[in-house]
Amino acid sequence: MHYTTALSFALPLSLGIAAFGSAFGLGRAVSAAMDSMGRQPDAAGKIQVGMIIGCALIEALTIYALVTVFVLQGKIG
Amino acid sequence: MSRLLLIRVLTEVAEHGGGGGHEGRPEIANFITLLNTLFHGEGLAGMLLHYQAVVFAWMVVGIIAFFAYLSSRNRQLVPGSLQNLVEMVVEGLYNFFVGILGPQGEKLVPFLGTLFVYIFVMNIFGLVPGMFSSTSNLNVTLALAICVFVYVQYIGIRRNGLLGYLWHMAGSPTSVVEWLLVPLNLPIHIIGELARPVSLSLRLFGNITGEDVLIAVFIGLGIASLSFLKLPVGVPLHVPFIFLAILTSLIQALVFALLSTVYLSLMLPHEEGHN
Repeated sequence: MHYTTALSFALPLSLGIAAFGSAFGLGRAVSAAMDSMGRQPDAAGKIQVGMIIGCALIEALTIYALVTVFVLQGKIG
Repeated sequence: MSRLLLIRVLTEVAEHGGGGGHEGRPEIANFITLLNTLFHGEGLAGMLLHYQAVVFAWMVVGIIAFFAYLSSRNRQLVPGSLQNLVEMVVEGLYNFFVGILGPQGEKLVPFLGTLFVYIFVMNIFGLVPGMFSSTSNLNVTLALAICVFVYVQYIGIRRNGLLGYLWHMAGSPTSVVEWLLVPLNLPIHIIGELARPVSLSLRLFGNITGEDVLIAVFIGLGIASLSFLKLPVGVPLHVPFIFLAILTSLIQALVFALLSTVYLSLMLPHEEGHN
């Protein structure tokens, strides 16, 4: 298998798997934040800020996969 | 003559707007790349292209400094509209960072506030037509992350003393068991500290480059959909992604500043009974 074939196959697949994992994590984080906001509407502001930060940290792992795609996609073709 | 030039520039934008860019990534044209297509990369235009991240970063610095100067001359007790806006922003950032760091973090707020404002304006700047986000260049984000890293270590040494800093790095051992675990804790802490600028820079770079590439791809799609007309026009398919880019720019600036705050708060001497 030529390395361009391998890269063209692996790069989109890797990004898809990373997106799948982060979708799971983000769904859990946001659902927990929504539950606690419903339980204590007074603390909604703090919970929202914490949720945004948590989501950015989870998203960062998918972004690492995206950066790897950026680095390697010049080598295809 | 000037109308011919304008049509030529627009056609170049239409051709290069969805393609081109280094490393094969689709990239939106900014005024420096337009200058380069006109002058074919020689002389001043070539040098500006080589340093385009720095040029746009300095433009952002000039804009922020000018804005700060405008709002702080003739300061009055009952503020006018611009001074009021800036005071709102400064007070909001102050309360936000001191809420995380505690009252001992008061001296650290200027650095963190500047970090937030600078990164936010740099991110947003790329959405202005003809401009470029310097933060979509890994060198710029890595430089910012290294500044934060050096500042955190400096504050750690300054506030805890050199021995206190090393004791903190060894995992703050208090009992015999913890002292025995120091050869395990010390490398883990050091690697953890070194991983922080890497993650900060890659997160900001990946998000901003990703949003730029997304907008560029949709601009190219919009122009390609009307390519049969042979005119420099296209369907504005990228507009929803501009809104997404505004949201991402704000959130990524906030996350960068907030994570720097958290790293600082972990380095400061822990007080008893903090919430």
